[in-house]
Amino acid sequence: MLKSDRLLAYALILPVVAAVVAFVVGPTYNVATLSLTQVVMGQERGFGTLINFKTLAADPVFGLVLKNTAIWILGGTLMCVTVGLAVGTFLAVDSKLTGWLRALILLPWVLPDVVTAMAWKWMLHGQVGIVGQTLQSSGLTNETVSFLGDPDKVMWVLVVVLIWRKMPLVALILCAAIRSVPDDQMEAARIDGANAVERFRFVTLPNIAFSLTAVTVISMIWITAEFALPWIMTGGGPANASQIMSTYIYQQSFEFFNWGVASAMSVVNLVMLVSIVALYLYVNRRSWASEGSK
Amino acid sequence: MSNSMSRRRFLGTTAAVGAASMLPMSAQAAQGSVSVWKFGGTPQEVEQWALRNDAFLAANPDVDLKYSYFNGQIRRQKILAGFQTNRLADVIVAFGQDLPEFVGFGMLQPLDDIAGDKMDGWKERIVPEVLESGMHDGKLYGLPTYVDMASFLAINLDALEEAGFDRPPETWSELREYAKAMTKPDRPGIAFPVTTAPVDINIFEGLVYANGGRIFDEETGKVTLNEPGVVDALQFYLDLIADGSTPAPTSLTETFFRDTAQLFGQGRSAMWIGLSWLNTPWGVSEGVRWTGVPLPRPDTASGRFEPVSAIMDATAMLMVSSRSENPEAAAEYIDFWSQNEQLEIWGGQPEIARIPSGKAAWDNPELEEAWPNWVSAYNAGKLFEGAEPMPRFIGVSAIESALGTAIQQAVLGQKTAQEALDEANKAAQTQIDLIRG
Repeated sequence: MLKSDRLLAYALILPVVAAVVAFVVGPTYNVATLSLTQVVMGQERGFGTLINFKTLAADPVFGLVLKNTAIWILGGTLMCVTVGLAVGTFLAVDSKLTGWLRALILLPWVLPDVVTAMAWKWMLHGQVGIVGQTLQSSGLTNETVSFLGDPDKVMWVLVVVLIWRKMPLVALILCAAIRSVPDDQMEAARIDGANAVERFRFVTLPNIAFSLTAVTVISMIWITAEFALPWIMTGGGPANASQIMSTYIYQQSFEFFNWGVASAMSVVNLVMLVSIVALYLYVNRRSWASEGSK
Repeated sequence: MSNSMSRRRFLGTTAAVGAASMLPMSAQAAQGSVSVWKFGGTPQEVEQWALRNDAFLAANPDVDLKYSYFNGQIRRQKILAGFQTNRLADVIVAFGQDLPEFVGFGMLQPLDDIAGDKMDGWKERIVPEVLESGMHDGKLYGLPTYVDMASFLAINLDALEEAGFDRPPETWSELREYAKAMTKPDRPGIAFPVTTAPVDINIFEGLVYANGGRIFDEETGKVTLNEPGVVDALQFYLDLIADGSTPAPTSLTETFFRDTAQLFGQGRSAMWIGLSWLNTPWGVSEGVRWTGVPLPRPDTASGRFEPVSAIMDATAMLMVSSRSENPEAAAEYIDFWSQNEQLEIWGGQPEIARIPSGKAAWDNPELEEAWPNWVSAYNAGKLFEGAEPMPRFIGVSAIESALGTAIQQAVLGQKTAQEALDEANKAAQTQIDLIRG
């Protein structure tokens, strides 16, 4: 490569690098330093302290937040990808119905977060919500069911709404990947006597491993960053039963003005997410490498 | 009681706006750009605010008014972000409860410093107890246009008569008795909101203050959530639940104030505990006769502080940013909103949901028609007697959040009132110590 070409290449990527530094590296650095700073009413009172992390460790709610966040991220991602894979497999079949469904399934994805959250909150309300009333009128339950007011149910109900919202795009991406599996491989497996499950396990899955890995990582990041849905639907309640990292960080920052602790929590969140994604990528490194090199 | 807008009201409102725009303003020296952020408000009030802004512009043609309205729930982050990025509006119309924290951050400037010549007029036109709610550390930081009070009780009159009562309950033990008697299999006798929404917590604080409790002792810097005044107020909620007079606990924890009001408005609960506006912003179904009264008092107050008749907060208080580059125009805008023509918006015509701060608004016959008891109490000098501001100090949100969680834990039966409040007290004290350094 000529020197002038190299300079041109650097010049072309400079805007992107500048944008990443300004909008990703900069804020991350800021949050990291803020987590090591004692902040009182917006005033910095000394850098180089672990007081924010110690406060977090002593906070009895934080343990519950970690547990709820694990359900939210891991449960949400696992179910989102599993359901997305099942729906994607179905959508990959050619028919008039699936042709329509491929377009319709994106509806939950295109709705704004706030609208989705408000609609679900209203539908799931124990006394006036259509879901509870239908269950009662059909005789499936005798009593009012409070989906969002019951601490034992609320987290799982939120995960179900989350899947409804996030799964369609996962399904479409996986549907596209499944449809790109070479026909000759499927045909060869069929001739060798492989049944449908075996063809899926030994032909389809290895072929879509790259997409599956990518979509899992992306889902995990989406779900970690999701704030509006849980906050609008429950506000972290009842009794912190649906308090997750994103809602608790928000509460610490904007309700309590406790920026140091909120930043410490953001750092914990980032480390947790990077660790999970790194582990996942490490486990799937072979499929990633083989598919990515195609 | 109705909150629909009659033609007469409409004509009256538009005539008032027209008249206001024709009025020669006392001072027209203001010029330049002034930005205003208003947070929250009933639909009626939001509409009126924009209309009156036109009158302000007509009277101040050299002012470039940049008005924006935002949902009340996002005010803290919006204001904070604006302050941090030097994009804060000149005038902020927000909640009085936020005032100490905003002053603590250095976000506001005292109105005494920029509008000293206008203050005599404000004192003349605004009810002193209400104007007092804009004070902090001996200085006036906010001009209140109205207040909301806690706590009140909405009663379905048909249900009351059906249960054989001819007057509203007056004590907590009477309220338990009434709620039990008014309960039917498909309609609870009483409902109260138990989500973590700030208003739901304010409603509970009304009970606490009436019982001689407080959530924080300013003198000692100690959180006082686990003292008898608060614990017994929470126990009162639990007693109503244990009596079988309420919806299921899990239903209470998912139903915030507006939904509770709507259920009452549909005849699906016989009473509900709320703030002073009760059902007026949303109305009730045809044929549901109802009335609003102050919440019954405890039989014997158990807290160590002075029991109060009510707590109040101005949720549309005009404040001036410390970074305003045009404090003259900002002061002019605030002065405009201190005029009787503007303050009468909350005088029952067209808005009946609030307790007006303008003295002249209390002469309005439509306020008397909507709230006869308020007007007679005001005329007798008793409406604000013994009333205090809602809790407001640096760290109030942290304590209210811990309190909200404790109420939910107790209502759901996870902990006793004392256990839940002991834990909340400890958590809130940690937060307070951290925030206050």
